[in-house]
Amino acid sequence: MSRPPERTDGGLPAFLPAIVTVAFTAGLAVILLSAAASVNGARERATKNVARMAANLWEIPGAGADAVAQLLGERATIEAVPADGGAPRTRTEPGAYGYRPGALDPSVWIAVASDPDRAPPPRPTTPLALLGILLMIAWTARRRRRPPPPRYPAATLLLAAAFLALVALLAARRAHHELEAISAAHLAHGIRAAEIAVTSGADPTRAARAAGLPWGTTAALADPARLWTMPRAVSEAIAALPPPLRTAPTSTLQAGGATYHIAQTTLPPNTAPPTQSPTAPTPAPTTLHLALLGYEETASPTVPLTAASAGSTLLVAIILSLLPLSARPRALRRTLAAWGFLAPAATLLLVFTFGPLLFSLWISLQEWHLVDPAHPFAGLDNYRNIILDTAWWSSIRNTAVFTLHVPLAMAVALALALLTQGSRRAVRWARLALFLPSITSVVAIAVVWKWLLNDGYGLVNQLLARAGIGPVPWLTSPDTALASLMLISVWMVVGYQMVVFQAGLAAIPRDWYDAARVDGAGPLQRFRHITLPGLRHTLFFVLVTSVIGSFQVFGLVYVMTEGGPLGATDVAVYHIYREAWEFLRFGNAAAMSWVLFAVVFAATWLHFRFLEGRRAHA
Amino acid sequence: MTTPPRAVSLRGVEKRFGDVAAVAAVDLDVRPGELMVLVGPSGCGKSTLLRLIAGLEEATAGEVWIGGRCVDNVAPGDRDVAMVFQSYALYPHMTVAQNLGFGLKVRGASREDIGRRVDDVAALLDLAGLLSRRPGQLSGGQRQRVALGRAMVRDPGVFLFDEPLSNLDAGLRLRTRDEIAALHRRLGTTMIFVTHDQVEALSLGDRVAVMDGGRLQQVGTPHEIYRRPANLFVAGFVGSPPINRLPLSRGADGHLAGGPFRFAGDWAFDEATLGVRPEDLGADPEPTGALPGATPADFKTTVLRVEALGSEQRVHLDGPAGAAWIARVSPALEVAAGDRLAVSVAWDRGHLFGPDGARVAAPPCPIPDLRT
Repeated sequence: MSRPPERTDGGLPAFLPAIVTVAFTAGLAVILLSAAASVNGARERATKNVARMAANLWEIPGAGADAVAQLLGERATIEAVPADGGAPRTRTEPGAYGYRPGALDPSVWIAVASDPDRAPPPRPTTPLALLGILLMIAWTARRRRRPPPPRYPAATLLLAAAFLALVALLAARRAHHELEAISAAHLAHGIRAAEIAVTSGADPTRAARAAGLPWGTTAALADPARLWTMPRAVSEAIAALPPPLRTAPTSTLQAGGATYHIAQTTLPPNTAPPTQSPTAPTPAPTTLHLALLGYEETASPTVPLTAASAGSTLLVAIILSLLPLSARPRALRRTLAAWGFLAPAATLLLVFTFGPLLFSLWISLQEWHLVDPAHPFAGLDNYRNIILDTAWWSSIRNTAVFTLHVPLAMAVALALALLTQGSRRAVRWARLALFLPSITSVVAIAVVWKWLLNDGYGLVNQLLARAGIGPVPWLTSPDTALASLMLISVWMVVGYQMVVFQAGLAAIPRDWYDAARVDGAGPLQRFRHITLPGLRHTLFFVLVTSVIGSFQVFGLVYVMTEGGPLGATDVAVYHIYREAWEFLRFGNAAAMSWVLFAVVFAATWLHFRFLEGRRAHA
Repeated sequence: MTTPPRAVSLRGVEKRFGDVAAVAAVDLDVRPGELMVLVGPSGCGKSTLLRLIAGLEEATAGEVWIGGRCVDNVAPGDRDVAMVFQSYALYPHMTVAQNLGFGLKVRGASREDIGRRVDDVAALLDLAGLLSRRPGQLSGGQRQRVALGRAMVRDPGVFLFDEPLSNLDAGLRLRTRDEIAALHRRLGTTMIFVTHDQVEALSLGDRVAVMDGGRLQQVGTPHEIYRRPANLFVAGFVGSPPINRLPLSRGADGHLAGGPFRFAGDWAFDEATLGVRPEDLGADPEPTGALPGATPADFKTTVLRVEALGSEQRVHLDGPAGAAWIARVSPALEVAAGDRLAVSVAWDRGHLFGPDGARVAAPPCPIPDLRT
């Protein structure tokens, strides 16, 4: 009895099902861990803030350690800071966050232990994940003993995807539940801190500040000028709430595109002996509103969980797609090798090109402020704003005018390329000299030219003065500044363009010139009929890349004119830069970037359509 | 086609690139209406010579005369020559019609004139249907015809061809060769044709100029070149398979001897080479003397290998004194490797080359009584 021929190529194909299981398990682990991380992050922030509340209480005269103990009980440790300036012992305790009260008693360190875990309602997240892993392992074991499936194992993928989605959903719900609890406890601590402060003799304002959260009193809600810490949108939303909601211990509201959790308490009038005249009316109780930016905005597990489950589903899908291929180990290995070689570049492209691109598109649809964690969705508002923004369009016009230096530079570069053909020593030196600006830092060039073109001591104006020509305000007049930048830009790009043109010229067969000479064409006719047509692809390449580069000009403007004088050199990218980093309006800046992208894209498309599109010859 | 054929005359023409002499002291007269083929191995200077005639290179020394005037200071376009390049050098961005008419256009010919001439040439070369295409859309043969047409449209006094057939496949090359020959008969224009292919040279040329090392080795009709090669280089370069050689040296008796042969005579040199073309060897299983003029059984030898080419057989022989000789024999002869053959030589068609490679005028004849 002859044995069936053994598959000698077992290696990778046999392990594929196991790799599927590993990817699946890793996906589940990432889902569970990122849910936990999101909860832990929120808990950490809440603990830090509660520690600050304790410190605020400590600072209130008459409150002190009793008040801190009232607020936190055993969770708080009050420790004297060592006199030798060393670190407090509790500083290094895990899960504890310390706070050193400010001016009053810098020798004290209040550490607060992390909020103890409240047992969450049992949800079968982890058992479900384990069940999925067991099923997958069983599938792997069975798969290994059978030949590769002829078609895509869609059922396996569906099951895996369903498990990943279900676990992600359950983990998200559980995380939301815990986050809800943390948020409620956080607010409750704030309320409690304010109440303790009042009973310790603080006035309501001081007490409100002890809560360490954006706050407003009923009286202040009507008067925005008296609101210090609460965003206007939130106070308006609280004021607009129907009374039952407004008096509920905690509730949730939407304001300014973000979710806030609010809580309120009625503070009794100050119990401290009145300092004013005894005839003053008894102060009325004050209703204090506290607002906490919702965990939905700061620690939402939805996005990481969706990404984790989608990512691992994709991974499982990809690896499963290799399974039918494993019947042909050579094809499989070729496929894997191809993807292996592609992966680094593709990853870089995804992470550093397409990722930021999509992120900027996302930002452009939001009201994105660098220091404000709330990013209300703005839809197309940013785009509407900039379409109506004359300064933006003026910068686009400046950019377009600036781009007119490209044809001039190309003409000069082509002439130089024709003049510096060959390999004579002088020609080689000339080429080097002409190419130098291309390898020099833009900033260095800009600084030197700024100095050369200075109105007073600039070399250019001094030479002109010797020739009897009055000082030209190269960079200081709106009439000349842009033109000066264009000339400098010509000087900068000519070397590079010249080198590209020389490569293009070298690629034109000498036979064409010979044939044209025998045909009787003179130098100009040869240039017109041989050189220019022979260079058309090179010309097109240089034109398109130079126009794109010119639309993106920034360094020259940033160093030399800063967009001035009077916005005469405010080009698009510089305008975007200022919008983002000076005015911190990132949403607008991102929208402008996309408008600029559209303009450049349209310009390039027109180039292709009208210059390159007509070509029919080989 | 009204321009009379021009004579081309090179007088002591020399072209140096730095220290390298690509063309050295060439004197060559091409008669009006003649088809002269320049042939030689790669790098022998034949293309440079053609470019000198076209004016694409400037001679370091010497003069180029075309149609009775010295053209050394005349631009290529004004020399009344047209050139067909190996790459065809068609302008890729122009249509066939524009390619054909370019030479006329840059000379300022009227639109009607250009159109008429282009149509004439297109009709002649069967290009009429292709006039609006671009070179990239043509086959190799069509491009070749466009290149030819571009030369013809200007009706030049001299046509220069720089290996125009080398980019064509074998069948098309033969056909185009015939077309060029027919064109030459019809136009009667002077043509100078450069090739490295000796078969092309012999089949096409009225006369053939063989070049090597930048120098002219021999100028003559194909028959002269083949039958009376001026030197060992020409004898070896022309002919396929190449001429059989046997080194000879003078013995103590004053005769030149090599292998089984001894040649009597008053020799002025000690070393020489015997050359016999493969078809001038007669081979027979029996020493009967198959060829006219052949003395029966000059030597007997063993067959090393047989190439049966259908119309002929090439028999590789263990030649005299171990030289590798090849005999072209009739396919009727039954012969196989290892057979013994009696080989006879047609001595009246043999050549003797002196130590400098030059052919000695008289054909050699061995001393009969000393034959093995």
